Amino acid sequence: MAEFYQHLLNTLVLGGTYALLGIGLTLIFGIMNVVNFTHGALYTVGAYLTYLAVAALGLNFFLALPAAILGGLVLGAAIELVLLRPLRGSDIDTTMLVMIGAGIVLQSGTLWLFGGVAKAIPTPFPEAPLQIGPVSVSWLRLFVLGAALTLIVLTYVLINRTRLGLAMRAAFQDHDTAALMGVNVRLIYTATFAIGSSLAAAAGALLGPVYVVFPQMGGMAELKAFAIVILGGLGNITGAAIGGFILALAEELGAGYISSGYRDAMGFLIIIAVLVFKPTGLFAKAERIG
Amino acid sequence: MTRKTLAPALTHALALSLVLASSTAYAQAIRIGVNEPLTGAFAASGTYVVNGAKIAADEINAKGGVLGRKIELVIEDNKSNPTEAAAVAEKLITSDKTPVLMGAWGSSLTLAVMPKLADYETAMLVETSSSGKITTSGNPYVFRISPPSSLEAETFAPMVAKLGLKKVDFLILNNDFGRGAAADFGTMLKGKGVAVGLVETMDQGAQDMSAQLSKLKASDSDTIMITSAVDQLVLIFKQMAALGLKKRVITTGGSQNPDQIIAQAGSAAEGTMHLTTFLPWFPEKTPNPQATAYFIGEWNNRGFQFAGVTESFRGYDGIRAIAQAIEKAGSAEPAAITKAFWSVDFTGLNGPIRFIKAGPAGKESGQSKPDVYLIEIRDGKVAVPTL
Amino acid sequence: MTRLAPLAVLAGLGLLPLALGTNPYLLNAMITTGILIIAAMSLNLLLGFTGQLSLGHIAFFGIGAYVSALTSLGFDVDLGFGLRVVHAPWPAAIGFPLAILAAGACGWLVGRLSFRVRGAYFVIVTISFAEVVRLVALNWVELTQGPLALTGIPAFTLGLPGLGTWTLKTKLQNYYLVLSVGTLCYLIVARLVGSRFGRAMRGLKENESLALSVGIDATRTLTIAAVISAGMAGAAGSLYAHYLRIIDPDVFQFSTTVTMVIMVVGGGKGTLLGPIIGGVIFGMLPVALRPVMAPEAQWMVYGLVLIAILFVVPKGIVPGLAGLVRRRAGPAPAPLAAEVHP
Repeated sequence: MAEFYQHLLNTLVLGGTYALLGIGLTLIFGIMNVVNFTHGALYTVGAYLTYLAVAALGLNFFLALPAAILGGLVLGAAIELVLLRPLRGSDIDTTMLVMIGAGIVLQSGTLWLFGGVAKAIPTPFPEAPLQIGPVSVSWLRLFVLGAALTLIVLTYVLINRTRLGLAMRAAFQDHDTAALMGVNVRLIYTATFAIGSSLAAAAGALLGPVYVVFPQMGGMAELKAFAIVILGGLGNITGAAIGGFILALAEELGAGYISSGYRDAMGFLIIIAVLVFKPTGLFAKAERIG
Repeated sequence: MTRKTLAPALTHALALSLVLASSTAYAQAIRIGVNEPLTGAFAASGTYVVNGAKIAADEINAKGGVLGRKIELVIEDNKSNPTEAAAVAEKLITSDKTPVLMGAWGSSLTLAVMPKLADYETAMLVETSSSGKITTSGNPYVFRISPPSSLEAETFAPMVAKLGLKKVDFLILNNDFGRGAAADFGTMLKGKGVAVGLVETMDQGAQDMSAQLSKLKASDSDTIMITSAVDQLVLIFKQMAALGLKKRVITTGGSQNPDQIIAQAGSAAEGTMHLTTFLPWFPEKTPNPQATAYFIGEWNNRGFQFAGVTESFRGYDGIRAIAQAIEKAGSAEPAAITKAFWSVDFTGLNGPIRFIKAGPAGKESGQSKPDVYLIEIRDGKVAVPTL
Repeated sequence: MTRLAPLAVLAGLGLLPLALGTNPYLLNAMITTGILIIAAMSLNLLLGFTGQLSLGHIAFFGIGAYVSALTSLGFDVDLGFGLRVVHAPWPAAIGFPLAILAAGACGWLVGRLSFRVRGAYFVIVTISFAEVVRLVALNWVELTQGPLALTGIPAFTLGLPGLGTWTLKTKLQNYYLVLSVGTLCYLIVARLVGSRFGRAMRGLKENESLALSVGIDATRTLTIAAVISAGMAGAAGSLYAHYLRIIDPDVFQFSTTVTMVIMVVGGGKGTLLGPIIGGVIFGMLPVALRPVMAPEAQWMVYGLVLIAILFVVPKGIVPGLAGLVRRRAGPAPAPLAAEVHP
């Protein structure tokens, strides 16, 4: 039974970061109808920025995290302004391919700058884990879970309780009408992409210290983010948050009780099952995009 | 001369005259093809091996080269992708006219290159790959200096009783590297009366092994043998510490870079044991202390990270073995070099480099038998455990 | 001119080895590029003509490769429940049609399952399918040898009973084999697109509700397109397996699908020549970049060229060129892409 409880605790810790990964992607898709193939690369960039801030500049760990998130925000805004704004109005495939190209450039750029050797980010947390009865968890991962949940709640508040959020929701529902009502849709798009990117960078900044940082770290993270987003329904933020936890649960139990070789297959099998039985995702709202 | 042999002979003559006509200084250099992953999943390791190879080439050239000619490395990136690895071999052999190759790091990369070696009758020195298949599939153009996992298991066998292993679980990379290790070590352990429990796998890029480790924590074994490359090992040790998993750990495969583990996993790596093929921490204990000291000195001079030497020494030894084969062949012709590999005999950084026959009769591949050492991380340093 | 352009391309490709001499490295690059072009043409059938972006296309390619390789190598698998399947090696020429059938069957399955959804959902279902297939190839060691790779796959042997056989060992032979299969696939796609069925496909792409209202069965049409497309990708996979003579689960790499998509969209999706022109450019670009720059920089240039093409000619190179020619020539019928491009 102890093993089962440990799996549940692992799920909680892993799920928080999965949820964070999913939210950034679903936000961009929902509002801009862009499948963001730079999500994984931005995740990698977030981790490298944290590494640079802590290891190279000697910045405090707790200051490095917001710095990396800010970096993601700026880079996201730049990508939107340079690559996506001129392409507004072209079809989803074109923007997606441009994003694939940008993802390739970002990923090979990090390899070029930092080399392929993985880097570790030192943290101020004690190495000895927190023991709760038969199960245990590291302090760092508890902090990461807390930070991830905080960012998720902040995003939720931003979308549902602020003027910017209102404008974003308006653009999501009908961008022509929103534009007529005086919403600056171009600005909203830039803001959306920047926020989504900063969430990806935040996930990288939080998980970089938990794992190690290397140029290809974003690849699997990106595929998992897609899975989470589909699970929750495209554009659905609450859905993505819950989707993250479901994926983590499936992976944990799959690896624990079925076969670790199929651990990564669990997420994809769930996606296929969800789409066969409930094609709009588990928590889809009435609107459907694409 | 029959019609059949006329055409190639003419082409050769033509090619030769072109080469003679087009070059003066460069025609003197003997080219060695290096087929390594410089981008993609294995970029870090491939780059280390190439850096080791460059040190060897510079050293050889500084001493006057081979057969009175300089050697020149033609380095190509196989992108950690088997199709690319085969294409690169094709390019090196046919376009760059390298009479001998070194490569291709991972086993699936090397296996993809092997049919090309047979097609063009050109030998390749295999510096890192561990799959048994490489030397047992009847390719007489393969000469390997890294140990296959069966050889590693064989060398480890005498230590089993001394360590007091009773039941062993495996946590392995889900590829030829990991599965080969689990199979060969499993057979060896069972032969020694040691029980083999779980065999858990992880994907190459996987970063979170908590699920597998939770399962291993609940098992009744005393030891976990882990086969993976350094980046994943760091993650595993950190996650083991987080889960409170305290069992004896022995890693295999020789891609551990213990210094990187110490630097990145910190106290989580304390007490872990590793089977390595090189002892750069104790140059005096290596088979060729002088060469080891030179290599490490040169590595540091060039500003490379010390942690890389456990990977890069293979590139260094590989190029030195190739240079000796060319020397013994007396010419830079592929056939002569292939034949001469059988008479290579010198002391590399990790033991004698001397090829013995492996695989089906008549089409044997060459396998060298390097030393394998067990080291332990103690007080944040690499130590040799007393058994 | 509409009819001449493909012929000119075919003649050019047919004569290319003569122009390049027998440099095996270039020929090898052309063969692997050619195989990818066939896969890209099959992807174009879905992406270009029905508007469904499959990012799991590599699954059909890989299934074709594995089926063909296993047919010619033989296997011995225990399925459980006392069920054991033993298969003795058959000639590679039988593996080829079996690869098409198996991949086509998977195309049917994926089509039935996934055409209930559209757009981004469809994209992600196909990615998921490919990942699941990759993981099965990786973990079902008894059948596929998993990560240990299937080695020693025989080369193609052509021949009729009684007339002797002919093993395709040389590069040149393989090049012309790939070119022949590619030409055949081109003709099939061209024929299909020009037919009633092709109009149904394009109808669905341009205006699904309108197409439905005139009685086009969307799921059926899309599924048939998926079956043909998957079968063609399976054929490419079979060529790949018997040319490279080794396959491992890495054939399912996501990046290969990305390369195919880049070939199709870069060249011009929904045009017959697009995947071929795009395929030659993006297939040979790494070969051209290799000698001039560092490996990481090559990838960066690859990404930048992709972005540049999408900005300069968003519809792809072939429609872009066609537009240019049209503007020069005044209001003449649009060449190359006229038949098929909206």
